Amino acid sequence: MSEQQHSGTQDSTHFGFKTVARDEKVSMVANVFHSVAAKYDVMNDLMSLGIHRLWKRFTIDCSGVRPGQKVLDLAGGTGDLTALFSRRVGPTGQVILADINESMLNVGKDKLRDLGLVNNISYVQANAEALPFADNSFDIITIAFGLRNVTDKAAALRSMFRVLKPGGRLLVLEFSKPTEAWLSKVYDLYSFKLLPAMGQLVANDRESYQYLAESIRMHPDQDTLKQMMQQAGFAETSYHNLTGGIVALHRGYKF
Amino acid sequence: MLKLLLPGLLCTVAEKVLNPVVGMDPDAQSRLNRLQGKQFAVRLRGIPLRLVCTAQQNGIWLNSHDEPVDCSISADLSALRQLSDPSQLTRLIREDKLQIDGDLQTLQQFSQFFQQLNPDWQERLSVYLGDAAAYKIAGGIQLLQRRVQQSLQQTEQSCRELAQDELRLTPVAAEVQQFSNDVSAVAARTELLQRQLAGMLPQSQAFV
Repeated sequence: MSEQQHSGTQDSTHFGFKTVARDEKVSMVANVFHSVAAKYDVMNDLMSLGIHRLWKRFTIDCSGVRPGQKVLDLAGGTGDLTALFSRRVGPTGQVILADINESMLNVGKDKLRDLGLVNNISYVQANAEALPFADNSFDIITIAFGLRNVTDKAAALRSMFRVLKPGGRLLVLEFSKPTEAWLSKVYDLYSFKLLPAMGQLVANDRESYQYLAESIRMHPDQDTLKQMMQQAGFAETSYHNLTGGIVALHRGYKF
Repeated sequence: MLKLLLPGLLCTVAEKVLNPVVGMDPDAQSRLNRLQGKQFAVRLRGIPLRLVCTAQQNGIWLNSHDEPVDCSISADLSALRQLSDPSQLTRLIREDKLQIDGDLQTLQQFSQFFQQLNPDWQERLSVYLGDAAAYKIAGGIQLLQRRVQQSLQQTEQSCRELAQDELRLTPVAAEVQQFSNDVSAVAARTELLQRQLAGMLPQSQAFV
């Protein structure tokens, strides 16, 4: 599927398998996350059997984070990556947890405060397509399971490139395309049958988890996303397939 | 399929074990403050894993990556155990059992930190079991620890003496060769004697 097919036309875009007006998507995605925010962590553990923690760990390893660095955790949601970064950058560093959704940001804020992580974390409600930060501000930017919900992914990647310091790196952790045919079939069965049922059972919200499965299928595959990152200006782009390509971690540098 | 994720799992488990232990040592915080912001990496030879320790006020955090750090060592397991003795460093480096890149002082500071780690188990136990029970259990563990240590020392001493005594008794290569030649000579003489006896047997039967 090409980049154009993923981003829709000039006036329309995808919301899962539906085609909707671009302006509508923001509020529709917002509604999904307002709805799932409270049960987000429980559902993540349930849906991935806890493996999402290892995917995030791998992201931290690939970031090469050092004490004193400034990190932007974009679409950071409930703050899993922020917590890992905060402990590593220490008091001389800074982590900014940014999310467009206020409910998710509030859940993240409460969780991180409960963990005693307060000194080096700031919270910003921000749209990834137009980041409210100065040029060349961050050593590392991560966006985990967030890019597929952004309406204009190319604009978001350009915005991230702008705020990244020269020498800095972007890490995109996102659902992707399984590399094995058998895994793809199992994964389809799981996503479209089991996942919405689990959403209904645990969070009393079937539609949001149906959207999750559909939005994953509409997201660019590994090579398309890599190409999009290159077009936004990132250099030395590469990706790692995790758990058979169910998830991929893309990395790119700004030079 | 999970190969890339295994180091993360290992680091998570190690952090979950290490940081509560650090938290149980009342003096660890001041030593940790001196290390704050420093990174130290270990690569064990033969294992495709580079473990990076980052010291911060709130604990030691582990990662696995190949980025530059303050000090990095590459060693085999036996050399790693000898690192606690600074006088062995030169010998280990000379024998190519240890390779150090970066600030040696950082290595020594991390080494000291881990050696001096002295968690107050009794205090933690008392939260769950009460002071008296915790005191008795801690006393019992200390006694057991001392006995195991003594027993290990005695075993080591016995093994050393045994090895030295055996070394004195063990023949050198030339002695083994000489013994082997003597055995061959005896075998040849025995064979000759057997043949002579076999020749004499019919004659003795004729007399009978």
